[in-house]
Amino acid sequence: MVNSNKKRSVGQKQSMAGWAFLTPAVLLIGVMSFLPMIQALFLSFQTGIGNKMKWTGVTNYIRMFKDPVFMQALKNNFIYLVIQVPIMLILALILASLLNHKDLRFKGLFRTAIFLPCATSLVSYAVIFRSLFAVDGLVNNILIKLGFLNTGYNFLGHPDSARIVIILALIWRWTGYNMVFYLSGLQNIEYSVYEAAKIDGASPIQSFFRITVPLLRPTILLTAIMSTNGTLQLFDESVNLTNGGPANATITMSHYIYNVSFKYVPNFGYAASMSYLILFLVAFLAFVQLKVGDKRD
Amino acid sequence: MKKKIASLLLAGAMVVSLTACGTGGSGSTAQTGDKKGDGGAKATNELTVWCWDPAFNLYAMKEAEKVYQKDHPDFKLNVVETPWKDIQTKLTTAATSGNLESLPDIMLLQDNAFQKNVISYPDAFQDITGSGVDFSKFAKAKTAYSVVEGKNYGVPFDNGSVVGCYRTDILKEAGYTVDDFKDITWSQYQEMGEKILAKTGKPLLSCQAGESDLIMMMLQSAGGSLFDKDGKPDMVGNATLKKVMETYASLVKSGVLIEVNDWDQYVGTLTNSTVGGTINGCWIMASIQTAEDQSGNWAITNMPKLEGVEGATNYSNNGGSSWAVTSASKNPELAYDFLSKTFAGSTELYETILPKSGAMATYLPVAESKVYGEPQKFFGDKPVYSMITDFASKVPSNNTGVYYYEARDAVATAITKVVAGSDIDAEIKNAEDTVNFAMGK
Repeated sequence: MVNSNKKRSVGQKQSMAGWAFLTPAVLLIGVMSFLPMIQALFLSFQTGIGNKMKWTGVTNYIRMFKDPVFMQALKNNFIYLVIQVPIMLILALILASLLNHKDLRFKGLFRTAIFLPCATSLVSYAVIFRSLFAVDGLVNNILIKLGFLNTGYNFLGHPDSARIVIILALIWRWTGYNMVFYLSGLQNIEYSVYEAAKIDGASPIQSFFRITVPLLRPTILLTAIMSTNGTLQLFDESVNLTNGGPANATITMSHYIYNVSFKYVPNFGYAASMSYLILFLVAFLAFVQLKVGDKRD
Repeated sequence: MKKKIASLLLAGAMVVSLTACGTGGSGSTAQTGDKKGDGGAKATNELTVWCWDPAFNLYAMKEAEKVYQKDHPDFKLNVVETPWKDIQTKLTTAATSGNLESLPDIMLLQDNAFQKNVISYPDAFQDITGSGVDFSKFAKAKTAYSVVEGKNYGVPFDNGSVVGCYRTDILKEAGYTVDDFKDITWSQYQEMGEKILAKTGKPLLSCQAGESDLIMMMLQSAGGSLFDKDGKPDMVGNATLKKVMETYASLVKSGVLIEVNDWDQYVGTLTNSTVGGTINGCWIMASIQTAEDQSGNWAITNMPKLEGVEGATNYSNNGGSSWAVTSASKNPELAYDFLSKTFAGSTELYETILPKSGAMATYLPVAESKVYGEPQKFFGDKPVYSMITDFASKVPSNNTGVYYYEARDAVATAITKVVAGSDIDAEIKNAEDTVNFAMGK
């Protein structure tokens, strides 16, 4: 051993040590994460009830495009994506640049307060939103007291309002999370840049669009990809807040996959193929965003 | 200083989120269940059981342990509280991964999910046909839920006979008594409901939107099913189903039936006096009795029946469960003996659990028991349990089919759209298409 070690150069030794440190993590990720992913890929080409599976080729992938419930779920996911993600990211950006202001007092307090929702459990916040928007819930009581409504409006009983409630809940839960990324990105922008802009007569709005946004581009890209990913995999809100209702108007793809695997007669092959569609969509959208958002030459 | 405030707040947030996890309850109990459930029972005189309701089936299991311990003093039962959804998820995971050892010796299964699970995972369950359990002592319609291809896989437990529960004090305000609601039809129900709504401002009935419990109860009360005898969907052209949907939509439109969004709100409408009554499986009486201030103001009778439908009755069923022995059990003989001497052989057990939990048995010999005939103070001093036993004997049987949950959800979607104004026939057609699609694997 000693001899063989001596024969190696310093660089080789260092890279050996590097691999030695990496191996446990690589093995764990391989066994716990990549192996199941490959198994799921095989599973997605099989069909059958429970564990009596047989090969069927790509029928599962064709089947999902004929499945009205899955198509509805896909549509719902994209509604959330298109409406919620931009609102949330813009809001997070505005909040971050407000809270980054040098002269603002109690910065820490505000930052923490806005980040707090993100520390609540997904299930409990969904349940709380459900009771807030119940027919006799807080929101309805306030609207009745203020004279906007005569009787309670069933927010979760109508397709559009139920979706709006889910979007509101998502914004409440995740804006602070994204804001923290922007705040950390803003720390890398020298204050002198803003000062110089100020001396040159730039308004705060101008310096926001001309300095903050361009310099934060990598962070914005990161949050956009993460939010897209998260929205396409949305599960807890659909299950706990609306239970997919009314009439599947708010059901998400993940929720339907869960139903197919655990609530209905289990069809894991079909469920796995739907999961792979989500993977494909996430990868595709991330690719597009990278192409559009990354302006490095 | 600012940093200190921030870190304090963060610490506070963590504490809040931790307690939030803690009060989640079901999650944490399920985890401990995992540990205990590992490897089934290790000792030869110990059995592990999964069931979900502390006030009901879990309590019954613990009483059964006491009964069995009289003859077998060193017997030990390890009852793990596991919510139904978790049981289903764990069973699916264990069976598909081939890791059956993680299952308990005995688990409680919803009757509606029994066939689906036995057919999907035949290896996970013990055929208990010749295990010494006397199945002839149970109502036949009830045992049928746990029979697959002529073999018994479950010991029947509770009964879900439908009761119409009414608040006598609210009825009185509108000049009615509970007897006015006995043996009526749905249109009479709606008519009286409208008068009560006008007089007291209270709807007569509430139910959970997006769930089809009430629909299924109405359907079964006329012997109707969503599947035919061969297990094929039977919705288009099913006159009973159409009548049920019309009745439901009409009740919602009149305001007599209000839809709420979740189970807690539903129970809330009962205990907060938002509604004048409810119609559900008799197990709902346990929830009603949590409103102690309403003691004596509740009464029960049978449910309304459909009009113009052949075979319509005032009786139906909603829910119910059966005990299954898993193939993971290291000591199946003990499990068989335990079940046949308690849930399938001890009137004493049923007499103990009834008054406290309202667990209506399907064990026939117990129906003549004195305990069942005792008047219940909460329900206006009426012998409600013997009334329910009587209802139970008149319930028409139905076909659940393997694809029961798919059909239920499809019908729930249809009724939501019908209430919102869609055409009934078109929505029934959609529902049948959805189920056919799910079955065409």
